[in-house]
Amino acid sequence: MIAFTDIVGMDLAKKALMLLAVDSSLGGVVIPSAVGSGKSTIARAFAHILPKGTPFVELPLNVTEDRLIGGVDLEATLATGVRVVQHGVLSKAHGGVLYVDSISLLDSSAVSHIMDAISRGEVLVEREGLSEVHPAKFMLVGTYDPSDGEVRMGLLDRIGIIVPFTAQNDYRARKKIVNTVLGKRDEEDTQDELNMLTGFIQAAREQLPHVSITNEQVQALIQTAISLGVEGNRVDIFTVRTAIASAALAQRSDVEEEDMKLAIKLVLIPRATRMPEKEADAEEMPPQEEPPPQEEPEAEDENSQADTPDSEAEEEQKETPDMIEELMMDAVEMELPDNILNISLASKKKATTGSRGEALNNKRGRFVRSQPGEMRSGKVALIPTLISAAPWQETRRRDKKMAGRPKTALIITKDDVKIKRFRDKSGTLFIFMVDASGSMALNRMRQAKGAVASLLQNAYVHRDQVALISFRGKQAQVLLPPSQSVDRAKRELDVLPTGGGTPLASALYLGWETAKQARTKGVTQVMFVLITDGRGNIGLQATFEPDAEKATKEMLEKEVESLSLSIQADGVAAIVIDTQMNYLSRGEAPKLAQKLGGRYFYLPNAKAEQIVEAVSNF
Amino acid sequence: MTQTETAGKKTAAKKTPAAKAKAGSTVTAAPEPKKAAAPASKKKSGLAFPFTAIVGQEEMKLSLILNIIDPRIGGVLVMGHRGTGKSTTVRALAEVLPFIERVKDDTYNRTLEQYLEGEEGKKGRAAIDPAAIQIEKIPVPVVDLPLGATEDRVCGTIDIEQALTSGVKAFEPGLLAQANRGFLYIDEVNLLDDHLVDVLLDVAASGKNVVEREGISIRHPARFVLVGSGNPEEGELRPQLLDRFGLHARIITILDVAKRVDIVKRRREFDDDPDAFMKKYSREQQKLQKKIQQAKDLLSEVTMSDSVLTDIARLCMNLGIDGHRGELTITRTAHAHAAFLGDKEVTMKHVKDIAGLCLRHRLRKDPLETLDAGEKIDRELAKVLGEAEAV
Repeated sequence: MIAFTDIVGMDLAKKALMLLAVDSSLGGVVIPSAVGSGKSTIARAFAHILPKGTPFVELPLNVTEDRLIGGVDLEATLATGVRVVQHGVLSKAHGGVLYVDSISLLDSSAVSHIMDAISRGEVLVEREGLSEVHPAKFMLVGTYDPSDGEVRMGLLDRIGIIVPFTAQNDYRARKKIVNTVLGKRDEEDTQDELNMLTGFIQAAREQLPHVSITNEQVQALIQTAISLGVEGNRVDIFTVRTAIASAALAQRSDVEEEDMKLAIKLVLIPRATRMPEKEADAEEMPPQEEPPPQEEPEAEDENSQADTPDSEAEEEQKETPDMIEELMMDAVEMELPDNILNISLASKKKATTGSRGEALNNKRGRFVRSQPGEMRSGKVALIPTLISAAPWQETRRRDKKMAGRPKTALIITKDDVKIKRFRDKSGTLFIFMVDASGSMALNRMRQAKGAVASLLQNAYVHRDQVALISFRGKQAQVLLPPSQSVDRAKRELDVLPTGGGTPLASALYLGWETAKQARTKGVTQVMFVLITDGRGNIGLQATFEPDAEKATKEMLEKEVESLSLSIQADGVAAIVIDTQMNYLSRGEAPKLAQKLGGRYFYLPNAKAEQIVEAVSNF
Repeated sequence: MTQTETAGKKTAAKKTPAAKAKAGSTVTAAPEPKKAAAPASKKKSGLAFPFTAIVGQEEMKLSLILNIIDPRIGGVLVMGHRGTGKSTTVRALAEVLPFIERVKDDTYNRTLEQYLEGEEGKKGRAAIDPAAIQIEKIPVPVVDLPLGATEDRVCGTIDIEQALTSGVKAFEPGLLAQANRGFLYIDEVNLLDDHLVDVLLDVAASGKNVVEREGISIRHPARFVLVGSGNPEEGELRPQLLDRFGLHARIITILDVAKRVDIVKRRREFDDDPDAFMKKYSREQQKLQKKIQQAKDLLSEVTMSDSVLTDIARLCMNLGIDGHRGELTITRTAHAHAAFLGDKEVTMKHVKDIAGLCLRHRLRKDPLETLDAGEKIDRELAKVLGEAEAV
């Protein structure tokens, strides 16, 4: 066993888990981390710093709905003739920890159930003739590798702490890790350290109710949340509680600056949707592409303070709210990584689909309902079969033909058999790739947007998923990861800026990665919808190594060609909508369509409806 | 919490087997006492945050209240940002709801008339003496429909326990039965499985739940106020279902620091000592409950002039709304709103307050439209009001 105290590095993750151990109402901790950084080790070691007897339940990724929320225990029910209920994984974790490794790979219905359980603190079982409420208050600990895809926002919203993503590469720390794994540490030391830590946490729990936080401090935290564009109000509670837990852990009775900084780091920054601005802007700002962090304003200026109530300013406070807020903004500034707005793309470099992804690919839609059918034509739905057989038992027993049967045996005939009908969860994913480079003249862009908008409308009606990628400047960017939200796609599109080079290869690459990720989550068909003039002029190299020499035209063509062929071979369908003005056309877009094995449309002629039709016929 | 405590709850939650044996395989829809008590008491597992202590989000609160005053408004869809108190607000509703009368222990929450009509129609039933039937008062039921619900639990199905043990084909009513005359709440309604949406659409249109399965045939009234909530970014609602909702409230992140400080304070206070917190707000809760009851009583006396009706019709026409559900919803909602404010006459002011709620989701979707639906309604409303004044 590797103890919590043995784990080297991941200090922030450890801190986060300790805070959770102090105050379970923080809801949980999510730890994004690269493969092999010991994230699952740390989560499992967490169990040992909790009070004895605290449940620690691991949720398998392939969990079925009835195992998750509970249902009828068939064996016991048949044996006793009385309905026996089996609790699901969610309620088994009640009072303890629910641990999910690779939480980003969890299928969406399981995520919805977890979200529901967290928000109620209990599980409602309304299925297969059961109607029950099981308590399910648990701490959720999730770990995942960001290259597998992101965790659904709705779920993150209900979890207090999100540990900022860091790649582990300090070589000294690595060496120490290796030593730990090799067991070069003294067992006794470890046990002592562990006992001490458990003692610390116990003391902090007792301290927790005695920690106070000032109004000004609460205001400063809220102001920071607003400046960072964090959605929702629930996050305020988490920030305040994290700061308090941090103070309790240090055996203090007042929240201090460092507690607040920690809370901002663990709760707010991972949820930031924008860089803080001079004034807290009431309008929701669309995320801009990576403004450089050095253009940070001197935190908050006077104006934004104008409407904060200062009734309690008279009290003897060491710091005024303004001062605290400035401090907080400094903290934020220090912590902000360059790519804060691209969190979901944090490590898009690798992301090859591993064996795990393929295992999940086994078609396993959602069990929707049962219907009469042949025993061999599908999975037998046991409960419904029993239900349909049940009422006839009396009469069947009286039937002479059945006379020889033992009294207790259930008599099931062929007509009773019900089979499960599954619904394939997600159908088609349309990945829209919109060329937003300078060569897309403004009016062209409007037409392109119009076409995409009608396609989106169409996708909405068919309940398909859509993703949106734009490419301009040095590289492509996922504006909207696969979702069913046409509304959001439309909004993203509305604010899409144009200008710069055309990194076509980067877009194809990113689209392909998105497609692969989506497949691990059950999407069966993927279609690229490329809106471009087909004239790529920025190579992949420029995307990853900005200092690289400018690629030659041949290199660029080759890159696009080999990518296109691979994508085609991977079974991704494509449609290319050419936005080039006729007299300028050198036939790049048709060529691209050909390489991708997809259909070609010429936008200035094509009416939106025609394009829609073409896509629908796919 | 320890394992033993969990185990204790487990046994407490388990139902006692009801072994009421009856010979043959007759269909009984007669409710059993243990189940009849379910809708009102089953889900009292913890204290809900008081409705009157919820800060802001007035649009959602008003929509819910108006639906209590007049359930014919047709429910409300609450869509908006995560973590803004959508489900907290809906779950808080139960505490301010008025009472209804039903036949004692009736699983379908029927009134005496409905009960007599339903039961007398049955074959082989002797005439029922209305005087012998007891009536009880229960709070308007609020039924939660979780996403993982299966169709048999929603519509009701055969009671497998009874069927196995005694061969009786008894009907075990589902959530739709429990929700009759009350509220049916679906959190994350946009993620609800399509087959359940079909069931809901069916029942919402007819007001009846018809079950024909496993050799039983039952129909019972199922009229409820549908309340849904969700985050539009997680997925959209099927147009048919969207159309079913009378009102559409939008909810966004509160950006006022003072308000948010207040939210944090109240939440912490509630978590520290729920009972004391409830006590603190009990007066306000009672006041609101009373105000709603008064509005309900006043509703039948509220009148509306023809000129207001004409303006409503013009507004809907100008906005190009299909059908007449728009006008109808505005009219009903405006009546309820007037009643809530204690006014006996509906004016354009009342209409103005609620027009956005009633029409937001009924505008035709234009893919190229960038104007927000609310702004569009306000613009047309201003035009209509302007015209009205000019005349």
